[in-house]
Amino acid sequence: MPCERKPMRYGHSEGHTDVCFDDEGKCIVTCGSDGDVRIWESLDDDDPKSINVGEKVYSAALKNGKLVTAVSNNTVQIHTFPEGDPDGILTRFTTNANHVTFNSSGSRVAVGSSDFIVKIVEVVDSSQQKTLRGHDAPVLSVALDPSDEFLASSSCDGSVTVWSIESQTQVAQWKILQKSSDVSNAKSLCRLAWQPRSGKLLAIPVDLTIQLYDRNTWTHVSTLSDDLITQVVNVVVWSPCGKFLAAGTVGGNLLIWDVEAKLCIERQKHEKGFTVCGMAWHPSGGRIAYTDTEGCLGLLEGVSSSSPSSSSTIQSKATASKETNDYDDLFDEDDDRMLDEGMSDSRSPVKKPIMEDDDDDDDLMPATGRPRNRGSFLDDDDNSQDPGSVKLDGVPEEDGSSAILPAVVPAVSRPVYDGPKPTQPQRAFQPGSTPMHLMHRFMMWNSVGIVRGYNDDQDNAIDVEFHDTAIHHAMHLTNTLGHTMADLSQEAVLLACEGTDELASKIQCLHFSCWDTHKDWIVDLPKGEDVRALCLGQGWAAVATSALMVRLFSIGGVQKEIFSLPGAVVCLAGHGEQLLIVYHRGTGFDGDQALGVQLLQLGRRRRQVMHGEPLPLSRKSYLAWMGFTAEGTPCCIDSEGVVRILNRTLGNTWTPVCNTRESCKSKSDHYWVVGVHENPQQLRCIPCKGSRFPPTLPRPAVAVLPFNLPYCQTTTEKGQMEEEYWRSMLFHNHYGFLSSSGYEIDSEGQSQAEKEQQELLMKMFALSCKLEREFRCVELAEMMTHSVVTLAIRYASRSRRMALAQRLSELALEKANQLQEEEEEEEEEPAYQRHTSREYRGSNQMSSRQAQVENGCEEEEEDYPQEEQMDAEESTETRKPSLNPFKKGAKSPERPSPKPVSKEGRVNPFKVSGAGKSSSSPAGQPRTTNVLDSMTMSSRKPTPLGGTSKQGKAPILKPLAPKPKSKTQATLLQMSASKGSSKKLEDSQLEAEKVKPAPAATPPASMENIENRKPKTGFQLWLEENRKSILADNPDFEEMDVIKEGMGRFRTLTAEERLNWTERAKGDSDPKKRKREDEGQADEQMETDEGSAKKKKPLDTSAKLSAFAFNKE
Amino acid sequence: MDPAEVEFLAEKEMVKIIPNFSLDKIYLIGGDLGPFNPGLPVEVPVWLALNLKQRQKCRIVPLEWMDIDRLEEIREQERKLDAFTPIPSPYYMELTKLLLNHAADNIPKADEIRTLVKDIWDTRVAKLRLSADSFISQQEAHAQLDNLTLMEINTTRSFLLDSLNYMYKLRSNLQPGRSQDY
Repeated sequence: MPCERKPMRYGHSEGHTDVCFDDEGKCIVTCGSDGDVRIWESLDDDDPKSINVGEKVYSAALKNGKLVTAVSNNTVQIHTFPEGDPDGILTRFTTNANHVTFNSSGSRVAVGSSDFIVKIVEVVDSSQQKTLRGHDAPVLSVALDPSDEFLASSSCDGSVTVWSIESQTQVAQWKILQKSSDVSNAKSLCRLAWQPRSGKLLAIPVDLTIQLYDRNTWTHVSTLSDDLITQVVNVVVWSPCGKFLAAGTVGGNLLIWDVEAKLCIERQKHEKGFTVCGMAWHPSGGRIAYTDTEGCLGLLEGVSSSSPSSSSTIQSKATASKETNDYDDLFDEDDDRMLDEGMSDSRSPVKKPIMEDDDDDDDLMPATGRPRNRGSFLDDDDNSQDPGSVKLDGVPEEDGSSAILPAVVPAVSRPVYDGPKPTQPQRAFQPGSTPMHLMHRFMMWNSVGIVRGYNDDQDNAIDVEFHDTAIHHAMHLTNTLGHTMADLSQEAVLLACEGTDELASKIQCLHFSCWDTHKDWIVDLPKGEDVRALCLGQGWAAVATSALMVRLFSIGGVQKEIFSLPGAVVCLAGHGEQLLIVYHRGTGFDGDQALGVQLLQLGRRRRQVMHGEPLPLSRKSYLAWMGFTAEGTPCCIDSEGVVRILNRTLGNTWTPVCNTRESCKSKSDHYWVVGVHENPQQLRCIPCKGSRFPPTLPRPAVAVLPFNLPYCQTTTEKGQMEEEYWRSMLFHNHYGFLSSSGYEIDSEGQSQAEKEQQELLMKMFALSCKLEREFRCVELAEMMTHSVVTLAIRYASRSRRMALAQRLSELALEKANQLQEEEEEEEEEPAYQRHTSREYRGSNQMSSRQAQVENGCEEEEEDYPQEEQMDAEESTETRKPSLNPFKKGAKSPERPSPKPVSKEGRVNPFKVSGAGKSSSSPAGQPRTTNVLDSMTMSSRKPTPLGGTSKQGKAPILKPLAPKPKSKTQATLLQMSASKGSSKKLEDSQLEAEKVKPAPAATPPASMENIENRKPKTGFQLWLEENRKSILADNPDFEEMDVIKEGMGRFRTLTAEERLNWTERAKGDSDPKKRKREDEGQADEQMETDEGSAKKKKPLDTSAKLSAFAFNKE
Repeated sequence: MDPAEVEFLAEKEMVKIIPNFSLDKIYLIGGDLGPFNPGLPVEVPVWLALNLKQRQKCRIVPLEWMDIDRLEEIREQERKLDAFTPIPSPYYMELTKLLLNHAADNIPKADEIRTLVKDIWDTRVAKLRLSADSFISQQEAHAQLDNLTLMEINTTRSFLLDSLNYMYKLRSNLQPGRSQDY
C-alpha cells in the first residue's frame, strides 16, 4: 500500500516551523514563529496543548521528556514534556540559534547559531559546553552522529563541516553548498542527518540532490535525486531503521528513497506546494510528520510499512521495466495521482478520505497492487525527455489493459502527462453546515434557525433552535441514529444518516407544525442507498441519494416522485415550491469543478426551469454554499467567496453580486454565509477568523455585508450609478418572479424600486448631459420608462439641447408605439405571461403619461415650441382645482377600493362608463394597464389559475378595471391629451388632418368611438383660423407647406398668445368629456376637492423627478 | 442626582441584540428602532434590550469593550497612571451592572468582567477621593478632572460640595470680624 497523505491542518501562524515526535511517537510536537510549541495527540487533535516558549521558536527537539527550543531571545531553553514547565536555560548566544538537536541518547544537545558558533551542551549540566568555532557564516544545521563521536554542521558560508566532538576540531569539510549572507537568505535550510544506529552515512541536501558521505573515508558515496525535484531540498530525515531517507523541498515535494537501492519509492506533493521546512519520522517508522512555512502541519501515513516490500518489488523489476517502458501503468498512476491532486486542489469542505465512492479508478488499484508514484505535474516540464507524455484521451482503453497486465511495474521511469488534470469532484454537502468530522458542529444554519450536532464522549445529541421563537420552541434530541445531515424549515426538521453495514440509511422528519399527534416519521432507504443531501421546501422534502436519485416526499411522509440525476449530487436547496439541485455534470479539470444545476418548480404547475445548465464558479474553486435568497432567487457562493445570483430576466444567467473575500481583513479569514436577502439587500454571514467556518462556541454573531456588483470604474460617479442601477434591477427581479408564480408581492416596495431605478436613470441622464454625451443620453433614455422619457425631454430642452430633445421625442413616440402593440398582444395572453419582462411591464405601467407624450411628440416633430409643452406639464399641479369636476368623475368609481394599485396606473378614460366595452374594441382601447393585471394576479394570492385562459381572466379583471383610472386621471384630462392611446388611430387621424385640414375637428368616420378622435392642439386651432391667410399669401402651397408655414408663424406669436390657443384647444375638448362623466357621476363638489388633494400623492414620483430635473439645471 | 437617575440616563445607550421574533420598524419619539429580524443583530437602547431580554425575546450581544483582555488592559493603565484614563463607555459601570444582572448568560466570562469593572471602578474612585483630599488639604481653588464618568462625579459631588461649603463657612467664621455676622 502506498502512503496516504492526510490533509494539512493549520498549526501555527505563517513562518518557519519545525516538527518532531516524542519518544514513543504518541504526540507530534510542532513549533512555529508564533512562539508556541504545540503538542498534538494526533493530526485530528482539535485542541492541541500549547506552550508559549518565547516570541519566535526557530527549532525544537524533544527527547527523554525534555523539550529544547531555540528561541528568538538568543537562548536555548528547556521545558519539561509533556507538562511544558520551563526547566531553565540551556545556553545563550549573541544572536539566535538556528537549529537544535539531541544526540541519540538524549544526553547532549547540539546547537548551531547565527553567530557562527556551534555548541554542544550536556543536558543535565549546562555548564559543560563545547564550542566549535570555524564557520564563517551563520550555522544552518547541526547533526550529532549516533555514536557521539562526530558532529556535522552546515553553514551559510557554503561549507558542511564534520567535527570531532572530543577534540573540537574539524575532521572534514566540503564546500558544496551555495553561499549566502544569512539564514533568511539561504536557499535551503540544509538540515543534515546521520544514518541512525550505525551512523555510516551522512545525508546532506545539496541543491536538487541529496549527497551521501561515508563516515570512514569522508568521501562522497552516492547521490539521491529525482526528476520531480525542481527546487532545492530543504530537509532530510532518516527513517528510524536507517533504510530510507525522506526529503522535503522548497517546492513542497516530499520524497522517500530506499537508500540501498537508491530508488525513490514515494513521491508526494504538498497540497499547496508550500515549502516544507520541518520533517520528522515517527519512531516506529510508519509515518512522517511535516510542516511548511505557512505554519501548516501534515502527515504521511503508512510510509515504511509498505515501503520495504514495494521497494523489493521495484528492485526486482527495475531493470526490466526500464526497457519496457510500458505505458499501461503510467495511466494508472496518472489516474491515481490525478485523484490525489484533485483531492488536494479541491479541498472540499468536508475533508474525508475520498476513496469511498469513487468509480473504476479505484477498482483498478487493488488489482494492480503496486506502489504508486505520486508527484507533481507542475514539475513535469523538466522531464520533457521522458517518453511517457501521452494525452489523456487514451486513458479508458489503457486502463483496461493495465488491469489485465498488473505485473509490470516500472516504477523508475516516472510517467509524464502534460495535459489538464482532472479535479477530484467535491463531496456532497449541506449548505450552511460545518464539516462533519467536528465534534461540535452546525448541521444547519439557515434563515429559520440553527441545528447543532454534538458528538462527543458524553453526548450524541442534536439541538434545534429557531431564530424566531414564534415558530417553535428550541428542541433537544438525542441522536441515536447518528444523523449527519439536517435541514430546517418553518414546518419541520429533516434529519438523515448514512447507512452502516447493518442499518439502512434513514430519513427522519420532525414535522412539528403537524396538527395531529404523530409529529415525526422515519423512512428507510433501500439497502445500499445512502442519503447524500437533503432539503425541505414548503410542504415537501427532497433527498438525493448515492444511487443518483432524488426522492421527493410530502412533508407528512408520503413518498412522491423519484427521478434520476445525471451525476452525483453536490447539494440540494429548497424554497417554497422550488427545488434546486446541484450535481456533478462531469469531470472538472485543473482544479475546477464541473457542476450542473437543475431548478424544478414543484407547485401546481410542475416544470423544470433549469435543465442542468453548468453552474459558473470561480477558477479552481468549489461550491461553498447554495440556496435561495429569502425572496426565492437561487444564489450560490464558491470557495473564493464570490456570491452569484440567478438573473431570471437574462435567460437564467448568474450574476456575481459580491465577493466576500474583499471584505476579509486577512488571507485566512472567511465569511460563512447563512442567508441572502434581496430586500433589503443583505448578505448575512458570520465572519470567521482564520477558518472557513465558525465554531459552535462562543456563539457566532451574524454580520451583514452589502452587495457590490463588479462593475468597471465604480469610483467614478458614472460607474457608481450604473452599478447601483443594475443592482437595483437585479435585486428587484424577484417581484416579477413572485407575481408570475402567483405570490403576493409588496407592491409598494416594487414601485419604490421602480422609482429608484428611474431616478438613477435620470441622474445618469443628467450626468451624460453635463458631459455633452448626447448619444449616451439617448441610450439611457431607451432604458427609461415612458413617463421618465418625457422628463428627460424636458430636461434636454431646458438645457437647450434641441437635437437631443428631438431624438428623445422620437424615442418616446417609438416607446408609445411599442406599448401599444404590446398592449394589443396582451389581450390574448393569459395574465401571468405578461410579466416575463420587466422592461415590458415597466413601460406599460408608465402609460399614464403616454397620451401626453404622444401629444408632445407630435408637437415636437413639427418643431413646436418646447415651452408650451412644459407649461402644460408644469401646470399639472396648479391647474388641478379648475379641473375638479373631471377628477371627481374619475375618482369616484375607485373609491370603494381605495387601495392604490399603482400610482402610474392609467387607463383608457373612455372606459369610465363601460368597462365591459373593452372586449368589444380590442384594437382601439387598451383595456387596462399591465401593472393592474399583475396586481390582480398577485392580490389573488396563489389561487389556482384554472384554465388561465381568456375566459378565466376576464371576470377577474373586469371588476378591477375602474381602479387604475384613479390617480392619474386628473393629469390626463389636464393635458387634454389624445385619449386614444391607439397609435393607429392617431396616425390615421393625423393623415386625415393632413388630407382635409379644414374640418379637423370632425373625427374620421371610421372611428368606432367618437371620443377617440384626436382633440386639437392649440396649434391646430390656430392653424384652422389662419389657414386662409396663409393660403392667401401663398396660394400655391401644398398642405404640408401650409402646415410648415403655419408653424413658422405660430412660433412668432408671443408665449401668452400661444398659451391662449392651447387653453382654447382644451376648452374645446373638455365639454364633451364633462358630459360623459356627468352621466355616471353625482356632482359632489366638496368631495372632489378633497379628492384633488389626495390625487397629488400618486404624482409624487414624477413630481420628484421633475423637481430633480429642474434642479439639475 | 441619585444613582438611579444616572442609571436611567445610561439606559439610552445603544446595545446590539439578536431578537428571536420578527417585528417591523417601531417608531418612537426618540427615533426609529428595528426592523427586528430573528437572528439578525439590531441596535436598540439598553432599556429595550433589557425588557426584551426579560421577556426572553432576545439575546444581548456583549458590548465590544466587555472583553477580559481589554478590561485588564484598562485596569493596568488605570493603576499605572495618576490621572484618569479614558474609559470605553461613559456609562461603563451602569451598563456592566445592568447587563450582567439581567443578561449574564449572554456574556461570556460574566463574573470576571464584573470583577474587572469593579476593580477599575474602585481604582478610579480611590483616585478621586485622593485627589479630593489633596485638593482640600492644599486649599486649591480649582482642579481639572478629565475622563470622569457621570456616575463617578455623582458619587463624590454631594459629599465634596457639602464639605466645601462647610469648610467655607468654618473658614469664614475664623476670620475676625466676620463671625458676628452669623
